[in-house]
Formats: sequence, C-alpha cells, structure tokens
Amino acid sequence: MTSKIVGTDRDLAAWLGDIGESCTPDRLTRELDRLFAGPDQSVLRRAQVRLEVALAPACYYDVISGTRLGNIFVAASERGLMAVNFGIPEAVFLSSLKRGVKGRIVRSGEQTAEIRRQIVEYLDGTRSSFDLPIDWTIMTGFQRKVLEAALAVGRGRVATYGEIARKIGRPGASRAVGQALGHNPMPLVIPCHRVLGSDGSLRGYGGGGGIRTKAALLRLEGVNLG
Amino acid sequence: MKESCTFDKLVELHSAEIFAYVWRLTRDPQDAEDCLQESFARAYKAFGRLNGNANARAWLYRIATNTTFTFLKKRKHENGRIVEMDPDFFSSGDGPAENASRRETFAAVARAVEGLPARQQAALVMRKYQELSYAEIAQTLGCSEDAARANVYQAIKRLRSTLEGHFER
Repeated sequence: MTSKIVGTDRDLAAWLGDIGESCTPDRLTRELDRLFAGPDQSVLRRAQVRLEVALAPACYYDVISGTRLGNIFVAASERGLMAVNFGIPEAVFLSSLKRGVKGRIVRSGEQTAEIRRQIVEYLDGTRSSFDLPIDWTIMTGFQRKVLEAALAVGRGRVATYGEIARKIGRPGASRAVGQALGHNPMPLVIPCHRVLGSDGSLRGYGGGGGIRTKAALLRLEGVNLG
Repeated sequence: MKESCTFDKLVELHSAEIFAYVWRLTRDPQDAEDCLQESFARAYKAFGRLNGNANARAWLYRIATNTTFTFLKKRKHENGRIVEMDPDFFSSGDGPAENASRRETFAAVARAVEGLPARQQAALVMRKYQELSYAEIAQTLGCSEDAARANVYQAIKRLRSTLEGHFER
C-alpha cells in the first residue's frame, strides 16, 4: 500500500485524502475546488423534489362489490398491482394507501378493470393463476423474494413456511417468512393463503377474516384440509 | 443492505450525493437534473437485479456514471459547448485586469478538465469530491482498485502538464 504513495507527489496524495496529512493547496487544486464546487442546498432540494415527483407514479384504486369475500379493494400504480384488501371499510383501505403512496390517488374503473376481472374469474373458479404486473417497489428485497416464492405455489397446492424459506436460500428463516407473508399487500393475487405450517396447520392469515378466510380460500381451491 | 432496503429508501439515502456527483460532471443545472432523473429511472428498472450482498452505493454510482457519460458524449456532439461561467463569480475587489485573468484561468482549467478521458475525470471527482474509496470507484468503473487509483492520479498529472504554462509556479 505505502509503496504506491512513496515516489508520487505527497501533496497530491494528501489533497486526495490518501494519506493522513494536510496539504498545501497549489493553484491547480484551488481552481479545481472552485470548478467542482457542489450545488447549493436550494438547488439540491429542488432537484430532489422534482426527482420524487418523477419517480412517484399515480395510484388507481377501485372496489369489487358483492363477492363472497364482501367488498374487495384493489389499487395499482403504472408499474403494476400495489394492494388488494377485503373485510375492511373503504376509509381504512384508503388511509393505508395514503400512508404508502407518494403520488396522487385516484379512483378509476378503467385502470383497474383487468385486475378486477381476473379476481372475479379467480373467485368463480374459471382462473387458476393471475397474469398481472406487480409493483414490487413497495416491498423490501426480502419481502419480494418471499412473495415471489409464494406466487409460484399454484392453485390447489400448498407449501410450508419452511419450504419457502429454503426456496429463497434462507433455511431457518421460517418465522421471518411468516411475517413477510403476514404483511402481504395483495392477498388472493399473491397466494399467501397457500402457505401452511409444517404440521399442516393454517397458523395465520393477514387478509380480512383471518384464518377463516384462509380456510375458505383453500376449500374454494379444492385443497383438502383434513 | 439491499434485502431490507426498498427502492424509495435508496433514493432517500443517496439522491443528494448522486445529484452532487452528476452536477460536478455536467456543470450545468438542467443537465444535472436530467441526469439525476435518468439515473434513478434506470436504477428503478434494474433494482430487481441488485444482489443482496452488493454495495448499493457503488451500484448507483455505476449507473449514474454510465448515464452521465452517455449524456456528455451526446452534449459534446450536439453543441461542443463547455461549461458556462457565471460572470459574477469573477468579480472581486480587484480591477478588471485581474478579473479577466481569473476568468481566463478558470476557462483554461475547465477546458483541460473537459479534455480528460471521461473515466479519469469521473475517478477524480469520485475520489476527491464524492469521497468514495478506491474499492468503490473500482466497482463503479468496472476495473481494479489499482486502475481506479491510476485513473485519479493520471487525471491530475495530465491536468498539470496541460496547464503548465498557465500557472506561475
């Protein structure tokens, strides 16, 4: 390491912070410091605000009424599906959306038509898997891994928390897997209801109606819960 | 770091330094904003491929560097413009002759920096002004740590020889 510094300009190395010495600025380094002066705080703030607006997509939501699960709320951004929920009042759904979404929130039947259609088909039994883009930016990398693994569990099948943990390369993380599934922002579409304890028990369910809903969905899919 | 980090969190943690970085490379307010937005737009698209173990900061610098290089090449090609200078910057208590001389020196330095190979300029900015380690610079530029260090030192040496006549020693 030191052999790279010895023989080179010590002041240069000091100016760069490569050695723990103070340096005597020369004309060049002073001019460079001037040329490369950073942006003012006000310029930075403005750029950050504009960046946030540019990155924050609008969020569209709507409700499917009269299903066997009651009112089902769905929300999607331009990137894809963001939320599915049921068994709660609309006001609660909207306030939780507002907490997570930076962009505008707009009710739109048109923007959510495909999502709503596929969910109705799923509940009717005419659709076994969903074909929808998902907005993964609202999740952490770990959550995404867990939920992608759950997505791969097909209709009428089940997996255990342990299997999911092993699948994502984190054996022994069944508890964290359970928590990530419990915070699934889009039950039904991402089938966290198909994940059980290793003893076959239902354990828990984050969607409206809790474990009873989990059991009902599994029965709907023809899974024998013994 | 990445496993527990959402994209929005990455933006929150690093947008200020990435902006300062592209600002220093482009030296134009609008261009800097455009490069910032384009860099994060690309980072969003590539976010799913970011490895759990990877250094997210170096990854962002890599994207910002490539984005800005592309932008600068295009800018140079389109109008051959160098940095515009704020005339107020040069007014001081001194007389017009001193100000003219200062302006001329600044222009000469700016031209010399523009004449550097892009990687050398970027390496210099990353080391001195963004305070990245040589390891992080190496990750950003896709080279070895030795090459990263060489890029920085060569940048200065090159500037020195280009500007030799300009500064009284």
